[in-house]
Amino acid sequence: MSASMSRTAAIVLAIVLLVVGIAAGYGIGYATLKPVTKTVTVTSPTTVTVTVPSTSAAPAAATPAVTVTKTVTVTVTPKPPAKKWTVYFIPHAGPADPFWACQMRAAQAAAALLPEIDLKFVAPERYGIKEQIELIEAAIAKKPDFLIVTISNAEAMDPVLRKAIKAGIPVLAVNIEDYRPEEKRIPYLGYVGMDERISGEILAKAAFKRFKAITGRLPKRVVVGIHQPGLICLEMRTDGIMKVAKELGVPCDRLDITMDPTKAMEILRSYLKKHPDTEMIFTLGPCGSHPAIKLIKELGLKGKVYHACIDLSPKILDAIEEGVTLCAVSQQPAAQAFYAVFTAYLYLKYGILPPMKIPTGPTVVDKENLAIIRKQVKTTGGA
Amino acid sequence: MGLPKVKYIVYRPEIGAVVGALAVAIAFSSLTEAFLTFDNLITIMTIGAELGIVTIGVAFLMISGEFDLSVGAVFALAPLVVIALANLGIDMFIGFVIAMALSMLVGYVNATITLRAGIPSFITTLGTMFAIRGALLMLTGGFPLKYKGPVHPLMVVLGGRTPFEFRMSAIWFLIGVAILAIILELTPYGNHVFAVGSNVVVSEEMGINVRKVKMTNFILCSALAGLGGCFTLDRLKMVDPLLAMGMELEAIAAAVVGGCLLRGGYGSIIGAAIGALIISMVKCGLVLIGVQAFWYQAFIGVILVIAALINAYISKWILKRR
Repeated sequence: MSASMSRTAAIVLAIVLLVVGIAAGYGIGYATLKPVTKTVTVTSPTTVTVTVPSTSAAPAAATPAVTVTKTVTVTVTPKPPAKKWTVYFIPHAGPADPFWACQMRAAQAAAALLPEIDLKFVAPERYGIKEQIELIEAAIAKKPDFLIVTISNAEAMDPVLRKAIKAGIPVLAVNIEDYRPEEKRIPYLGYVGMDERISGEILAKAAFKRFKAITGRLPKRVVVGIHQPGLICLEMRTDGIMKVAKELGVPCDRLDITMDPTKAMEILRSYLKKHPDTEMIFTLGPCGSHPAIKLIKELGLKGKVYHACIDLSPKILDAIEEGVTLCAVSQQPAAQAFYAVFTAYLYLKYGILPPMKIPTGPTVVDKENLAIIRKQVKTTGGA
Repeated sequence: MGLPKVKYIVYRPEIGAVVGALAVAIAFSSLTEAFLTFDNLITIMTIGAELGIVTIGVAFLMISGEFDLSVGAVFALAPLVVIALANLGIDMFIGFVIAMALSMLVGYVNATITLRAGIPSFITTLGTMFAIRGALLMLTGGFPLKYKGPVHPLMVVLGGRTPFEFRMSAIWFLIGVAILAIILELTPYGNHVFAVGSNVVVSEEMGINVRKVKMTNFILCSALAGLGGCFTLDRLKMVDPLLAMGMELEAIAAAVVGGCLLRGGYGSIIGAAIGALIISMVKCGLVLIGVQAFWYQAFIGVILVIAALINAYISKWILKRR
């Protein structure tokens, strides 16, 4: 192949791709709107006059009723589908995080029950506030009917959400709310989720109580592993745990374990080596909990180092049953997603305003109420 | 008279990028009517400008035969320095100057290690990337650093909204593209950049100071990355230490899609800018269709491979021409 032909071939290839792209786009469009021709067979009684020759001696018989079969061709155009409201659900992290995979599934299940809701669950691959804001900006161009977002960073998201609200798009906060004072708060419709100001405290108090019940004393040292530092809800949980630990005089450290499970295990391993008197590991989500549980089992520290966490998953429930995890606090993410999508539906269809807060937690889960929570985790993937 | 002119247009390195951009735009507009709206165009330009300013720096360096993987880290470092100093009471203009100086210092370090020790720039800048990211995490403790003060004119000048809804970053981006494209195509220095990227030995023998060219390009690349980071000041008013993670690879992908050869010596700034806009269009288009964001990565991967294949043909053609 000569040199100029290679060049030409490349240009031709690019143009072919261009044409194929256009054709595919239009093809998909037309396929959904093609009118359908249907053949329908119709039976109807019709009187037919038959001329009988008069050479016959017998009197003309009564005109016989004749059934005529007609074939009618009817062109049927599919009725346009019932009004679909476009609802965008844009959290700060995607299905790579088991917590958000559960929410995604629950939101999609809710949308499946509501045919008039066209749900678009869009999230950044990695936890990223900049990426989340960009996705919201992009979604606003579509002028959706409803926007469900997590307020992962109130100041950064303030302009874009106010812009959406001004453009007439109702906004619902889910999972993380705007924690600023009322005058500064983003005027969203409402918040579905747990109050993170108290979740950490409740977990710590429940965990220490159960630890004391087993050992008769408080733990010598505890550590909190945070897997998304800077995420305000996780920071608040950490603050709650550390506050209770400080009140009770238990040394407590805060550790950045990253979202990577392998790194998290190694960071916790080093910490335990450095502080062998650690008796409890707190983690704030399945991303941190799974490595912590794995580490405790791997080092054979069950019964010596306990685990307590916020947010559940099937692994964590097994750990509760085995006694590795003392207790967990649940915000029931499936409920958050379900309530959020239904709130959107009630607002759009009936004009029902949601209450300012729809709490879905905190609920403490331990061996006693494991059964019902297992059902929730089995059916939704999280709890 | 007509045919040579057509040949001139068709043989430009940007042609692949232009065709690609048209294909992506047409494909998305047929899939969703919201693609060709003014709002969407603004979003494409906002995202595209920030990626684009980094991409043209990376492309300029790539044409001279080197890579810079630390651009993402510098993109996060510069605004962090500005905000940290502003929170301490130092005026933002001064903070900006210090941030830019720091970005250029990173470029200088990258260049020195690569040129003195002879380590491939890929490795050097990978190392500096990790070092800077680690430093960012240590400095912030993992928290995003929020800017606590009032809106400063610098923020508006760099990335604020204009009355036309576009952000200033888009305008700076276009100016940057124009300046670099003119330097590359129409000045002797641009010739030197091409020469150094094609064949270092011959360039040396022809009297070009290869070291100086590469050093300048490294510094320029990092400076543009720092500048891009400062564009986000008005938009986000905070910096999280993981800002722009992965942007270095997006920038290289955009440059390749825009016609720059990985081996250096061939490419175009305008093409790289279009490449950045293609990536931005794909991001926005996928959101409008309602597809999960991980399709975006797969999509970019496919586009990149196709662009690389086309580039491979071009590469063969150039070698045959010599």
